[in-house]
Amino acid sequence: MTAGVPTEFIAPGPQSFDLPPIIPGVDWFTKPVLVAALSVVVIVWFYWAAARKSAVVPSRLQFAGELGYNFVRNSIARDAIGSAEYMKYVPYLCGLFYFILLNNVAGTIPLIQFPTFSHIGWAYVAAVMSWVIYNAAGIKKKGVWGYFKHQTMPAGVPLWLMPLMIPIEFISNILVRPISLSLRLFANMFAGHILLGVFVLGGEYMVFESGKILLGGVGIITFIMGLAIAGLELFVQSIQAYIFVVLTAQYIGSAISDEH
Amino acid sequence: MSEHQDPKPSPPNSGDGWRVLSYLIGGVLVYGGIGFGLDRLFGTEFLLPVGIVLGAGLTILMLHFRYGSRS
Repeated sequence: MTAGVPTEFIAPGPQSFDLPPIIPGVDWFTKPVLVAALSVVVIVWFYWAAARKSAVVPSRLQFAGELGYNFVRNSIARDAIGSAEYMKYVPYLCGLFYFILLNNVAGTIPLIQFPTFSHIGWAYVAAVMSWVIYNAAGIKKKGVWGYFKHQTMPAGVPLWLMPLMIPIEFISNILVRPISLSLRLFANMFAGHILLGVFVLGGEYMVFESGKILLGGVGIITFIMGLAIAGLELFVQSIQAYIFVVLTAQYIGSAISDEH
Repeated sequence: MSEHQDPKPSPPNSGDGWRVLSYLIGGVLVYGGIGFGLDRLFGTEFLLPVGIVLGAGLTILMLHFRYGSRS
């Protein structure tokens, strides 16, 4: 960090996501694993503490817990699945939402600053889990053949167009849904992390390491822009968690709905 | 903020846009894929773009039937 000695600037890229194991020798224990484990501990602690002393007149913590739970229960699960059957899926949706939310926001929290879902494997697993659940819910409700028919016959289409529409409906309901779920989450987290890295590391380089006064001034502006980007990222991280869970709920809802 | 038990659904179809997008991708994928396969089969190279456009058109037609009458 000594000014006046120009060094080469290495821009952050995909290689920034290859993190070394935290404990040398334990290869699987990397930063995303740590962040995910921490997030689980925080969520479990929060809801345990909020529910421990349930009272009619809630404490502040209980109120916060109920607010968080009711948000997923009412404005995600009940709206998308319908008031008859939504309660079965609330535990999954609620857990999923806060898990994704915390792991995304970890990309902004100082000192942690790594969104778990920027490693695509995590996004794949979350999407496959939702995929299995909405298909299983539909098969349980309608039987294998009934569900298959339900997911491949688009409603309201004239009969002569059906043969052309069935492959579209099948591919988009069975194949594109899990892929788009995982890619949307992964790509947003990945791009956001790189973007933030470019602004912050670039600003740091220009101010401290480029050794040029003029670049230093630009670097300060870059750094301030980086802060604004961090604010934007916080928004994107929350929205992505919300979209993932809303879509999961809608897929469940459409899998078990009577009319299509 | 729905801490009260209001039955009013707040955002009615907040995920519809994303579902429409997945239909569009699906349509282009299916008919573009068919076009690509036929191109390989016959050694031509115009069927892939035809398939992509056809898939997108058919998907829009389907979306019209499915969502068009709702509002």
